[in-house]
Amino acid sequence: MSAEAARAHPRLAHHFESLEKQVHAARLGMWLFLATEVLLFTALFAAYAVYRYLFHETFAEASRHIETWIGLVNTIVLVTSSLTVALGLHRATRGDGKGTALFFGLSVLLALTFLGFKAIEYTHHFQEGQLPGRFYTYGEVTGPGASLFFTLYFLITGLHGIHVVIGMTVLIVVGIRAGRGAFSAEYHVPVELAGLYWHLVDLIWIFVFPLIYLI
Amino acid sequence: MADPHATTHDAPGGHSHVGRYALVWVALLFFTFLTYGLSRLHIAGGWGVVVALAIASAKGTLVALFFMHLWDQRGANRLVFLISLSFVALLVGLTILDNATRFPLANPPGAEGALPAGGADVPPPFQPGERR
Repeated sequence: MSAEAARAHPRLAHHFESLEKQVHAARLGMWLFLATEVLLFTALFAAYAVYRYLFHETFAEASRHIETWIGLVNTIVLVTSSLTVALGLHRATRGDGKGTALFFGLSVLLALTFLGFKAIEYTHHFQEGQLPGRFYTYGEVTGPGASLFFTLYFLITGLHGIHVVIGMTVLIVVGIRAGRGAFSAEYHVPVELAGLYWHLVDLIWIFVFPLIYLI
Repeated sequence: MADPHATTHDAPGGHSHVGRYALVWVALLFFTFLTYGLSRLHIAGGWGVVVALAIASAKGTLVALFFMHLWDQRGANRLVFLISLSFVALLVGLTILDNATRFPLANPPGAEGALPAGGADVPPPFQPGERR
């Protein structure tokens, strides 16, 4: 008993039999949370699907009046940030906390790039009056459904943007902790879960890109 | 705070992990440009969205399997994710089915087959009998 207690990892909570089981429980919990996130976005995608079905031509027309290149660049930026997060996790599995901090820092820079492009885009929409609901004053795309496209555009990209900010915060906190040597090759589950969250943000954008920009 | 043993003693699968990440990244970039290029072609008949969603699903699968490690993980996590996807299909699919099978006049004004927006004196945005 005492020998077992001595061998127990300092991160092992008393209600888990082993560190392995604790890690599996943490992962499962994270996947359950990610499932709720998927469904949160699905509600918006369902609304999008309905109005795209009802106002097909107007949606296609409205989509041609937003900057496709920004969507493309942001897709590349997010996909690359997913790669750097994955590499950060790989460093963590080797017990290299500094490497994790470096890769997560790189990912945060890419996330800031993403938000920068998003800010340029939003500024443009505000100047053009491509705004939701009764604030819609854009003259080139009119008719029913035009303001709905931009309502859904702002809801979907806005909610995604909030997730980018949350993900960035998580990456910063976990990255700093990793850099200070809080994790080891045996225990780095926070690094893994932060990565999972970031990949989900990427995963959702992968669907946002064709639906919003490439109609 | 690197553990020297952990960094010098590379596990057999270690390098392939980095290689796998890089391969997935290249594939994701390829699919991104592919979907962008195909969207420029304006595929007719509503198949454009099918193609775009198929490519997005392929990309999503790559991210979930390899970046999110579902490939090497236990069944429970895969099950949770797959169930969430089946609820996505139910929610979006059934909602669309509802709108697609409605009496057209029950849809909002301005939509296909429904009353024109703004009253009867406004010409309808779609010709009668025209699809999409």
